Amino acid sequence: MGGQHTLRSFRRLGVGTRLAIGLPILSVLVLATGLVSLRLGPVPIKTLEVVWAALSAMGLDGPSVDRTAQLVIEQIRLPRIIVGAAVGMALGLSGTAMQGLFRNPMADPGIIGVSAGGAVGAVTAIAIGLVDLFWLALPVLAFAGSALALLLVYGIAAVGGRLSMATLLLAGVAVNAFLGAVISAIIYLLPSEGPLREILYWLAGGLDSRSWDHVRIALPPIAVGAVALVLSARNLNLLALGDDEASSLGVRTGATRTALLAASALVTGSAVAVSGSIAFVGLVTPHVLRLVLGPDHRVLMPMSALGGALFVMLADMAARTVIQPAEFRVGVLTAFVGAPFFVFLLIKNKRQVYTL
Amino acid sequence: MIPEKLRALGLVVTLGLSLILTACTVPLPPTEDIPSDDRAAPRPELRDVPGIVDPDNTGWPRGVEGLNGVVDIPGQPARIITASIGHDEMAVALVPLERLVAVGAVSKDPTYSNVAGLLTDKPEISRDPETIIAQDPDVIVTSPYFPGEGVDALERVGIPVVQTALRHDPEARLDTILLMGYIFGEEERAAEFTAEVQQRYDDLVAITGTKDPRPAVLALTRYSDQIWVAGEGSTEGSVIEAAGGENAAAAAGISGNQTISLEGVIVMAPETIIIAQPVAFGAEEFRQDLLDDAALAEVPAVKADRIHIVDSKLFTTLSYWNIRGAEELARILWPADFPNPPPEGFSRAE
Repeated sequence: MGGQHTLRSFRRLGVGTRLAIGLPILSVLVLATGLVSLRLGPVPIKTLEVVWAALSAMGLDGPSVDRTAQLVIEQIRLPRIIVGAAVGMALGLSGTAMQGLFRNPMADPGIIGVSAGGAVGAVTAIAIGLVDLFWLALPVLAFAGSALALLLVYGIAAVGGRLSMATLLLAGVAVNAFLGAVISAIIYLLPSEGPLREILYWLAGGLDSRSWDHVRIALPPIAVGAVALVLSARNLNLLALGDDEASSLGVRTGATRTALLAASALVTGSAVAVSGSIAFVGLVTPHVLRLVLGPDHRVLMPMSALGGALFVMLADMAARTVIQPAEFRVGVLTAFVGAPFFVFLLIKNKRQVYTL
Repeated sequence: MIPEKLRALGLVVTLGLSLILTACTVPLPPTEDIPSDDRAAPRPELRDVPGIVDPDNTGWPRGVEGLNGVVDIPGQPARIITASIGHDEMAVALVPLERLVAVGAVSKDPTYSNVAGLLTDKPEISRDPETIIAQDPDVIVTSPYFPGEGVDALERVGIPVVQTALRHDPEARLDTILLMGYIFGEEERAAEFTAEVQQRYDDLVAITGTKDPRPAVLALTRYSDQIWVAGEGSTEGSVIEAAGGENAAAAAGISGNQTISLEGVIVMAPETIIIAQPVAFGAEEFRQDLLDDAALAEVPAVKADRIHIVDSKLFTTLSYWNIRGAEELARILWPADFPNPPPEGFSRAE
């Protein structure tokens, strides 16, 4: 009871106050998780060495560190943690945007077919052996698949020049089902079972062997899309009032929706391209934060970015360490944790959870 | 009125016809009733082979116990399908090729199959039971990975199906050869072939088994950008052990085939790395990436440039061809002990 009262009181605070309290807390948690994650792994490295190596990797001077430790931090752990944070940020943000846009708490980044499109691109790259010829083929095709799926869904929903959210939702369902069938067909028609394991692993989502190249692929588009989404938070709030009210308050509803969809697709497609399908981050993160922070997207958007990053970083830390030196799949862990937690939230907060 | 003589004649004819018909419909004596002189003598090597229901029964029908239960083989099969690559490789050694009526596409693919060249003309089957039924086989031997519904469908149309597991250890391989020989009615050839395989294995481990210390060997592959390692209970692991190496992944507690990060490679510190991956699937690039990665510079195998691309089909198939893989690896690990290349292949059924 006391906890519920505290939460209600917190949600009544102003936007600036909630951000002033929430952002530093989550930022510290993200940084601390990053540091702990840098410390953990099959190769034992002392905490101070981790700090010096991380500083050195960022171009700052410090005491010299064992060369292997330095390289493990610099070339293996750090890029992986950064990719994980970027992917989590992208999924958290786009999940929040989708739930706000569709005014539907069950919406997630996959609802507009972007994840399935990315999966078709990646599965195609693996099935026809392009990945063996050119390693960038997988992220490039995954991103292209995401973009094409979005264009298809958008094209169906925008027939007649007006974007209907109901049609968009249904088009997303139809395109998702179609793309799921395409993936099944590709798997069924594989000439040998060799690539099957690769495909299944990719579909389960993971961050193993992420390098600075993956950081370079994913970070710029995610950063651009994230800025666009955070800046759209006020308009997303107004859209929640209904189109007429939003228009009367100066929002160009069609253009705003299109911009939000494009930004969501950009960040999700970029995330899927480097990590596969990591489930539940986009669904659970906004829910949890909404319960704590309230439905205002001006607070929710930046906090979802950090919350998503924290979720994926924690999951990846567990994936790297639970069965080390072997690894678990991050996407499987996020689903293992996310699904029961989501059900728990649904049961515990039947009323609040649906308040957008 | 029928005359008395005609009635008597009719009775005699009816009785005679009845006798003839009765004689014709008496079932053939069951195989168990075949006089013992007509059967092959029981073979002692079959005594402890898992799956043979009655090792003394060398006649037909004969029973074998697969993973799908006890299956009766009514007579010596003339048309055989072995619906897995490991079983296909075994069958090629045991029966003349014409008795193998069809094979899976993978068995015809030289990337994966050690007997692809012998099977190019064979019709292909898939996991669709109809493609198998169309070949009119007398028996099907397959792995546990064949779908259970497919097995049911084949059994419903009266085709005996035996599902057997293919394990990694050499003893189990010999048992599988003997079991398959028994299923095909080729016990003698199976005994001869197991002796050949056993001899090659014994010749190898006579040298590699004495090695102490054993070098830490890591079997790696990379598909897309996932790095896989072969741990305890993997086929590659059994090959490494037979070749006189220590499977570094198994020593690190990894079981089966798992994904790892490059950090895992560092911590396992292998003295030799083998890449059991086809060159067409990026083995050369993977080797070069391992050599070029600064983080791996202190790994003994990288430092000494002991990263070898090996013929993956010898290391991943589940058949006696693994012994050939172990012979190849032994030449890499112990070049002074194995100066000459091993025989290319194995004998085949005439």
